[in-house]
Amino acid sequence: MNPTSRRDFLKFGAALPLALHSLDLRKDMPKRATPPRRVMFICNSLGFYRPNFFPRVRGDLSSSKYLAEMKTKDKLTVFQNLFHPGMETSNHDSEKSFLTGVAKPEAPSFSNSVSVDQVLAQQIGNETRFPFLPLSIYDRGWGCSWNNRGVAIPPMHDETKVFDMLFGKEDLVAKREQIANDQLVVKCLCRDIKTLEKSGGDAAKIDSYRVVITELEKQLEHDAFWLDAQKPDVANTLSTDVEYAFSAKIKNMLELSKLAFQTDSTRVITFSMDWIYGAIKVPGATGGWHTLSHHGGKKDALEKLIRIESDIIQHVNKFLADLDGIKEGDGTLLDHTTVVLGSNFGDASNHTCNNLPTIVAGGGFNHQAHSVLDRPTPLCNLWLELLNEHNVDMGQFGSGDQNLNLLAT
Amino acid sequence: MVLAVVDWIREIVCMKKINQQVVFVAVCTAALITISTKVNAACQGVVSANSNQVEAEKLLAAYCFDCHGEGGEGGLNLVGLLEQDSFDGTLLFENLITSKMPPSDMEQPSVAEKQVILKWLAERQDEVAEISFRRISRHEFVHSVNDLLGTNLDLASEIPEDRGTNDFDSDRRIQLSKEQIASYFMVADKMVEHAFPVDGFPQEQIWITNKLKDSHETYNIYVRDYKDGTLLSWTRANNGNSYSFFYDNFEPPAAGWYDLTFDAMKVGEFEGDVSVQVHAGKYYYADDRPQPQRLLDVISLGNRQLESHSVRVFLNPGENVSVHCYSKHTYRNKNPNQGAYIKQLKVRGPIQGQWPPKSYPTVFGELPLKSSPKPAQNKELEPTVVSGFQSNLQKIGGNLTVSSFQKGMGKEKMQDGSNRTFWHTRFEPSIADSPHFVILENPRQIEIEGLSYATWSGGNGNGQVQKFSVFVSDDGKTWGDPVVEGDLEIRLANEQPIHFTKATTKRFIKFLITDSFSLDGRSLASIGKLDVVVGLKVDHPKNRVIVDSNSSDDLKRVIRRFSERAFSSNLSDYELESYFGLGLWPLAENQEFSQAAKVALKAMILSPRFVMGPGKHSSLSHSKIAALARILWLSVPDDELIGLANLGSMSDEVIAAQIDRMLDDKKSDRMIESFCEQWLNLRSWRTIAPSLKLYPEYDDLLNYYLPMETTAYLRYLIQEDLPVGNLIDSNFSILNQRLAEHYGIGGVVGQQMRKVSFSSEVPRGGLLTMGSVLKVTTDGFDTSPILRGAWISKNIVGTPLSPPPEEVKAIEPEHGKTAATLKEQIEQHKSNPACYACHKSIDPYGFALENFDATGGWRTEYRVEKPHRGTFQFRLNGYYDLAQEVDASGGIDDQEFENIFGLKQALLLDHKKLAYNFAKKFFEFANGYKPTLKQRMELFNLIENDPDDCRVRGLINKVVVYSLAGEEK
Repeated sequence: MNPTSRRDFLKFGAALPLALHSLDLRKDMPKRATPPRRVMFICNSLGFYRPNFFPRVRGDLSSSKYLAEMKTKDKLTVFQNLFHPGMETSNHDSEKSFLTGVAKPEAPSFSNSVSVDQVLAQQIGNETRFPFLPLSIYDRGWGCSWNNRGVAIPPMHDETKVFDMLFGKEDLVAKREQIANDQLVVKCLCRDIKTLEKSGGDAAKIDSYRVVITELEKQLEHDAFWLDAQKPDVANTLSTDVEYAFSAKIKNMLELSKLAFQTDSTRVITFSMDWIYGAIKVPGATGGWHTLSHHGGKKDALEKLIRIESDIIQHVNKFLADLDGIKEGDGTLLDHTTVVLGSNFGDASNHTCNNLPTIVAGGGFNHQAHSVLDRPTPLCNLWLELLNEHNVDMGQFGSGDQNLNLLAT
Repeated sequence: MVLAVVDWIREIVCMKKINQQVVFVAVCTAALITISTKVNAACQGVVSANSNQVEAEKLLAAYCFDCHGEGGEGGLNLVGLLEQDSFDGTLLFENLITSKMPPSDMEQPSVAEKQVILKWLAERQDEVAEISFRRISRHEFVHSVNDLLGTNLDLASEIPEDRGTNDFDSDRRIQLSKEQIASYFMVADKMVEHAFPVDGFPQEQIWITNKLKDSHETYNIYVRDYKDGTLLSWTRANNGNSYSFFYDNFEPPAAGWYDLTFDAMKVGEFEGDVSVQVHAGKYYYADDRPQPQRLLDVISLGNRQLESHSVRVFLNPGENVSVHCYSKHTYRNKNPNQGAYIKQLKVRGPIQGQWPPKSYPTVFGELPLKSSPKPAQNKELEPTVVSGFQSNLQKIGGNLTVSSFQKGMGKEKMQDGSNRTFWHTRFEPSIADSPHFVILENPRQIEIEGLSYATWSGGNGNGQVQKFSVFVSDDGKTWGDPVVEGDLEIRLANEQPIHFTKATTKRFIKFLITDSFSLDGRSLASIGKLDVVVGLKVDHPKNRVIVDSNSSDDLKRVIRRFSERAFSSNLSDYELESYFGLGLWPLAENQEFSQAAKVALKAMILSPRFVMGPGKHSSLSHSKIAALARILWLSVPDDELIGLANLGSMSDEVIAAQIDRMLDDKKSDRMIESFCEQWLNLRSWRTIAPSLKLYPEYDDLLNYYLPMETTAYLRYLIQEDLPVGNLIDSNFSILNQRLAEHYGIGGVVGQQMRKVSFSSEVPRGGLLTMGSVLKVTTDGFDTSPILRGAWISKNIVGTPLSPPPEEVKAIEPEHGKTAATLKEQIEQHKSNPACYACHKSIDPYGFALENFDATGGWRTEYRVEKPHRGTFQFRLNGYYDLAQEVDASGGIDDQEFENIFGLKQALLLDHKKLAYNFAKKFFEFANGYKPTLKQRMELFNLIENDPDDCRVRGLINKVVVYSLAGEEK
């Protein structure tokens, strides 16, 4: 790519539909007719207390304790009776399979496959500065996102760093020099890989290294390309509440997601939420979220758990309403953003994974408020539908072989 | 990781669909045996019948099939199972090797007979081939690069957590991801830049200060000016946090190591030392929110005379140093007359330790160095003594005017660095009319980026600003449109920044108050602090170091030498060609030698030869020293190891001697800490904050020292080569005053960790009764005998636990809340054979630990939380009632015990089992995979029969030697 094309590109702005490798900006670029589509997956890995989650009256969201207050009721669907075949019961490792559908994540010999968000990122992610944004609430190294080789993609947990990455002003001269440097280093390492190969090094080892270096090389190209484009000017609206740090963290991650979508900085976001350690504090309750999730039906534990879950739902509610309040094209940002809120646990108290609480919101779909499936249906069928809706035709994904076909307009 | 373990353990508690195989298990007295079909069916080898098999089967028939044959009373039909090639014999093997089976009241096979069965089980076992390589973990990466560059930076937290749900960092199933290697690139940049900064090293400076920044009025009553400095009493905030007081007049100019020297002493007639926690954090002092700070170190004040106490700490720009005093005798003494007196804080840094900095000789060896300018010598350093306060406005020679003021509340009160004093508009004898404003003058026309505002820290909010507009002007007369408008919070004593969208150099800035809070409707305005925000970039003097060479041969030598250390290999010029190229090119462009070398150095620490292990090394000896350094130092070999490898082959004796030397080296602390964190799951336990209602005695200091006890204890066992039984029990531990206080052991004064011996009535000693270990299985509220039992089972006893059967509701025991005692609740397990089969070997361990609460404190009765009125206010007595006496009795494998003392004795009966488990864990830590059954047999055979001969250091040595022998394959 030559510098002129980059400059032209910048004139047109960041929201152009372009595939990096076939980019030829000197031709007339049609202005984008429709706003881009985005996807977000939120996994609440400790599940939701189902009696409060699912509507008690079929089809009536106001009969759900958690969803009654949702401001975007006409733009969401609650799915009932989804599950991952082969994982009717599991442990917390089931989070690994939430977006992949690979069975037996708790087995020592488990190896994962690509997650649905990554398939989508490969399809629609390359057009933005950040092909994909993985988020979590603490430093945990893995979440719901797994690459083509089934290797975990570590999520980012520090909201200040995420904000800086997305919107922080950079010393472009230094950054350019650093990328150039890194590219030199990568070239050198690629040469050394060849030398190693010739001298009979362990082929599997060399391969596992080569593949990440090659991916890094591509990322450096991508970074270099975006270097000239100004990052959007965004005011830092993150909460610094240290009292309800957990609550603030979730709020901030959703706020960052909104800003990232709004500025078209990325189009695919996955937010893996879990907390297995000590107590957390939300308005009205302090307790070990994980311990509480094993409530065993006991009233005082449930009371606290419901406070925590309500707090999360309330943040998601605001997030969806915020997206819906941002006009874009003929509709709103929410109309062009598919937000999935779900969990790898149906009932975290017993570690069962049937009837997974799942919501799909936005995306301009034909929402039906509450969709109760006749029989247990693979969650991957829903993933397949989302893939199809974003023009990915895989035929099969994980345990899914059939488009759920419940959202399409 | 805690996630995985806690939950996987928790699963054991529940049961679901009972399938056929599980029924077998349930009824089987062999308990923990599950039968799983091997996942990787494709890898199954056909086991051919041989004489060994015939003999083994004969023995199994003789010793096992009575109970475990068809229709046998043991239930589990081994006859049928062993005929299946896919049957996983691991648990059978483990039960046999640890003598769990046959039960002690049955006839036992002889040692030789047992070997035959074990050998056959190991041979028939179809082991999936281990992955031949692994990536470097983030901790290994940072330690290795520090050693390679001669730096000392802790940047592991900049790399994403990389252990996932695996037990050990070294696990070979963990694969490198692009994100991981990208963060290695980023950290490599930082470390190389820190070692050889392009602009040179910030010059060492000295600051002396005795002034504390403003603190909240709720707490500043517990400190006071005293003699030349400050006297502090122990002050936990209302929310229970360690309330800290921040030092003024020192900001670290650059990231680096600083020596903080406190001239301080204990004041008061009471027993024990007073501790001063030294924190770093961003200045923040609101009343009931945690101050964002990290605990750097602790100084212990004993003598009642002024002494200098120094700690060396790493500080980043933007951090302030703060102190918190702890002494249980001085809790919230108003206007205190006892506690910690700190006369002054002297800061020196950033410290280089040696000049030229260690990185130069480490990387460039003997090459001649020049430095410019010459760094100041100790005596030449002029301390910057600052006692007064200067606002930014004063620093830039500015001044201010106000619309009006009340006598005694003049404009200067906004500029005195305190918001206990404040400016107020006139209200007597007459009320000043609005508009109220402040005009700041910037005569030197320095670039101003914004304003910083704070309310005064008391009162009811009357007069505090709610809305403002800022105008700028050249002449102080024509103001134009506001440059920024906004809202401010009232009754928030922290500083509220007001950013200008564009920095201004205008001479006049007007802060106009457009709305202020008023209780009675009068027009009032008050401000605690108002100042300008300026870059104030102080050009910190720097010293450069230059390598006096421009020879490409020199550079090649440097790269070759570095590669030898990083890769543990002697590579040919051909193999190093690509790295040479990276250095030679900038050198040819006339870059300074050390700067030219940087990209090549970076490439080497990102090379597959460094990042992936075991590497391809130039000789077997080089492979061995690489493995040794990786296991024992989490790093790369040192000169002595490289020298040995270069001499040729290394015998096991030479290796054993090297292991000894390496264990004595300080660098082995990394291994000990890391091994404890992983083996005992201590890594993330700090995030478990015990409930302050139930455990008000828990504090930051205890949180800081508890894991230190564990690592210091293991270090001591290694140092002194003590018998392996010390893992379970001993008559000493490594403690200090705070830990001894927690454990109820008297006579330990001062916070230095040291060996403390105690009598046999003290339940401490050994890992099980350490607060760190007792806390890790809790959520900070309740303890669970089941989780603790499973933890001991897995980590100490080494009994493999099988996942729980399905479709049975979890038992969630609670203390004192229901009629049933905790034990009765848990003993529901007994009523269900499917549960009991496993839980009879889990729960009793936990019962024995019931005398220890969620913080590791000793208890005879449970604490049950009771409600408090309104918002939580920390108090030393907490909010709990005592309920129900603890019953810590139980029994395991026919060994009955009354409490922890009995359990320890039961566990000590079989030292070989303890040693075997320790060896397996260390093997996995060292190699990144679980030993195969064949390897387990060999590990077991390394263990001495006599408990007095079976020692921790020796065991580690043997396991490492054994692991290295594997390199030869």
